[in-house]
Amino acid sequence: MVEGPGVTTRAASRVARTAAAPRGASWIEALAVHAVFVLVVVFFLVPFLWLFTAAFDADAVAYIRFPAAPTLNNFVRIFTEHDFGRALLNSVFVAGSTMVLDVIAVALAGYSLSRLEWRFKSWITYAVLLLQTMPLSATMVPIYGLARALGLRNSYAGLILIHAAIELPFLVWLMKNFFDNVPRYLEEAAWLDGRSKLRALAEIVLPVARNGIGVVAGLAFLAAWAEVLMMIILIDSQDLKTVPLAFYETLRTQGGYTEVQYGLVAAMGVLYAVPVMALFLMTRRMMVRGLVASSRGL
Amino acid sequence: MLARNSTYIAGVAPAAVLLALFFVGPALWALYSSLTNLALVGIDAANPRFVGLDNYTRLFADPDFWTVIRNSVTFVVGSAVIGQFGLGLALALLIDHAEHRRWWLGTLAYGAVLLAWVNPTLIAGFLWVAMYDFFFGSLNHVFLSSLGASSVDWIGSFPMPAVIVANIWRGTAFTMIIFLGALKTIPPDIYEAARIDGANAWRRFWDHTLPSLRPIAALALLSITMSTFGTFIVIQTLTNGGPGNATEVIALFAFHTAFKSFSIGYGSAIAVVMLGLNFAFAIAYLRWSRARA
Repeated sequence: MVEGPGVTTRAASRVARTAAAPRGASWIEALAVHAVFVLVVVFFLVPFLWLFTAAFDADAVAYIRFPAAPTLNNFVRIFTEHDFGRALLNSVFVAGSTMVLDVIAVALAGYSLSRLEWRFKSWITYAVLLLQTMPLSATMVPIYGLARALGLRNSYAGLILIHAAIELPFLVWLMKNFFDNVPRYLEEAAWLDGRSKLRALAEIVLPVARNGIGVVAGLAFLAAWAEVLMMIILIDSQDLKTVPLAFYETLRTQGGYTEVQYGLVAAMGVLYAVPVMALFLMTRRMMVRGLVASSRGL
Repeated sequence: MLARNSTYIAGVAPAAVLLALFFVGPALWALYSSLTNLALVGIDAANPRFVGLDNYTRLFADPDFWTVIRNSVTFVVGSAVIGQFGLGLALALLIDHAEHRRWWLGTLAYGAVLLAWVNPTLIAGFLWVAMYDFFFGSLNHVFLSSLGASSVDWIGSFPMPAVIVANIWRGTAFTMIIFLGALKTIPPDIYEAARIDGANAWRRFWDHTLPSLRPIAALALLSITMSTFGTFIVIQTLTNGGPGNATEVIALFAFHTAFKSFSIGYGSAIAVVMLGLNFAFAIAYLRWSRARA
């Protein structure tokens, strides 16, 4: 492996660096750094503390308090009174289909871009990166108009196509880099055996690049699951309502924020956020690397 | 070139169609409709007229537009440049330091910052709606009242700082992770040499750590500037641009113009301005990252 020596050097330098770290930190330094960490942990975790206590509190309020009698009542109510089951199914279906579509489109495009021999190839890569930085909030009005003209509003097809497109530039770029590291002699041997290019990709190259496919699938699913802007402008039918829309609706349609049914919204929030957090924490290393390369936020 | 690459061109096609439809298409459509008086309802919806640059002259003469630009700049400087960038850098340095000292609280802080980032944006907005609530929010009802202080109308009196803090909470992890990665690539012998030369911790930090972070810092800054410039969900959930138009940033302005005033043509002109500014940032970003490669 080419990376071998590099990896060793890095590992060695880490050891050296740890060993070279100054010993005997003063207690003032330790105290100051720890105080900062405590403040940081409080600032970043307190809102979640509220979310997770309110969801189990029968009459949740806007401030943090531990429920007198923890209950699952809020969760029962969102399913019986707010049709949250429907929203969950819709979200799983849309995010799952988006994932499948993205994996296919990204595997084909990433591999092709990696193997394409053309003078202007680097321009394509830059164009893809440029698209990646385009803010959705700028194109949402045209996308709304386009979806209306093509009959893609209030349809699963519209949701799936648009969500597949949103993450595409970044995922194609990511996957191209994965394929760049797969040696060509693998597929060339398969061609000599008489396989077509498509079969060689599916049977020989993809298994080697399965880590990349895993990252693409995970990111595509998570992004489509969490995304809300396109959901808001594309869907107003109750039948097609997804998790973020159910959440948004329960939050916004009450008369003013003071009358928000916090327990119900928090319960929906827990079911909306927990899958993302769980999947992310399970695959943290991969995801952090992937998400860092993607820079578009909302 | 065609014959040799035909299979590969076919392979790019599905992705290219999706990108053309939902990225290039909408951008071109925005450019076109910004030159018309297209509306969402009424006569202009059916028969839009070509109006030249009228939408743009109207936009640049609109005092609201300049308020919105000022809000956007304040929001980007406050939440991206000072907040996410400054706090992200500080946290990366502290966490890296804690790692060498084997202080586990650093790992906990890292996880907490990360959690706020992977959390869906809509929930981030909602959590801060609850935190800021005047009557029962945790900030007033738990924090201030335990200090014996009277309640503060956070969103009413300090709308811009309120949305900035919420966005810092949501997005600091990105710069923190970038800088943590960069810190790990600084060769340790630089520090060793400096220590032997008798440089103290501050000198080593100013002379070695910061300069080696500079190239990645420029990229991170451009990148979060672009994503913060397009911020929509956090602000819409918290204030929806209010009170008045105190927190109306450019993305909300485009949305409200198109979907509340129903003027698509005018809304598209705003979108084109957004896309233009973003394009400028993106070109700077690509040039900078290419210069480094």
